[in-house]
Amino acid sequence: MERPRNHFTRGRSYKNDEITVYWKPDACIHASYCYRELIEVFDPGRRPWIDLSGSNTERIIEVVNMCPTEALSWKWNEDARNIDVERDQTNHIKFKRPELMSTEKAKDEIRPVSVKIMVDGPVVVKGNFTIRYNGKEKNFTNGIISLCRCGGSNQMPFCDGTHRKIGFEDK
Amino acid sequence: MPMERNELDENTGTSAIVEIIDNGPIKISGEIMFWDLKRDITDSPSEIYLCRCGKSSNKPYCDSSHKMRL
Repeated sequence: MERPRNHFTRGRSYKNDEITVYWKPDACIHASYCYRELIEVFDPGRRPWIDLSGSNTERIIEVVNMCPTEALSWKWNEDARNIDVERDQTNHIKFKRPELMSTEKAKDEIRPVSVKIMVDGPVVVKGNFTIRYNGKEKNFTNGIISLCRCGGSNQMPFCDGTHRKIGFEDK
Repeated sequence: MPMERNELDENTGTSAIVEIIDNGPIKISGEIMFWDLKRDITDSPSEIYLCRCGKSSNKPYCDSSHKMRL
């Protein structure tokens, strides 16, 4: 969805003995990595939908790092451990602050534009691109959008998660 | 209208154009890295047309099935 980055109205956190996972629903674009990889922890049909007791910390971190947006992030509960977290832990909370990256730097770093067909889900477009729809035109710098492929979204052309509800199978 | 290369590179730093065609597919043109996670395909096409009606029998690409909808 196209929403201002870093603008979240709600958020929740979930803890186990070692880590805290943060959930920012407004940032979710329904890329669907989380529940396809680890339904035991991330189950959109359950409340609460995140249950960290469903898997081990290592696997949870691995899946949270797959989230292409800031919707899911994590940190170690023991603060000292957070200092040493490396860049490959893309969704560690300290890397999820894009305001630290200047627009110019973002432009240089990201090209070409990434187009990802998600399994039985939307197409996720990421990078510096222009979108045209309904006679409108918008430029994105280091942006990310998720476009409906199932034909069922109520927020066309964007994905609203309907593919899961209607059981869209990409075949 | 296909985008000219220089139009892509100027001004905004835009590398690609995503065009939602009314009652039709998603057209993406420009400098693209393409991944299809289900079919394990990676490619760098200069232009693609992606199905967005859910009916194509050549997914993720458009095969004009949207025109056959009842």
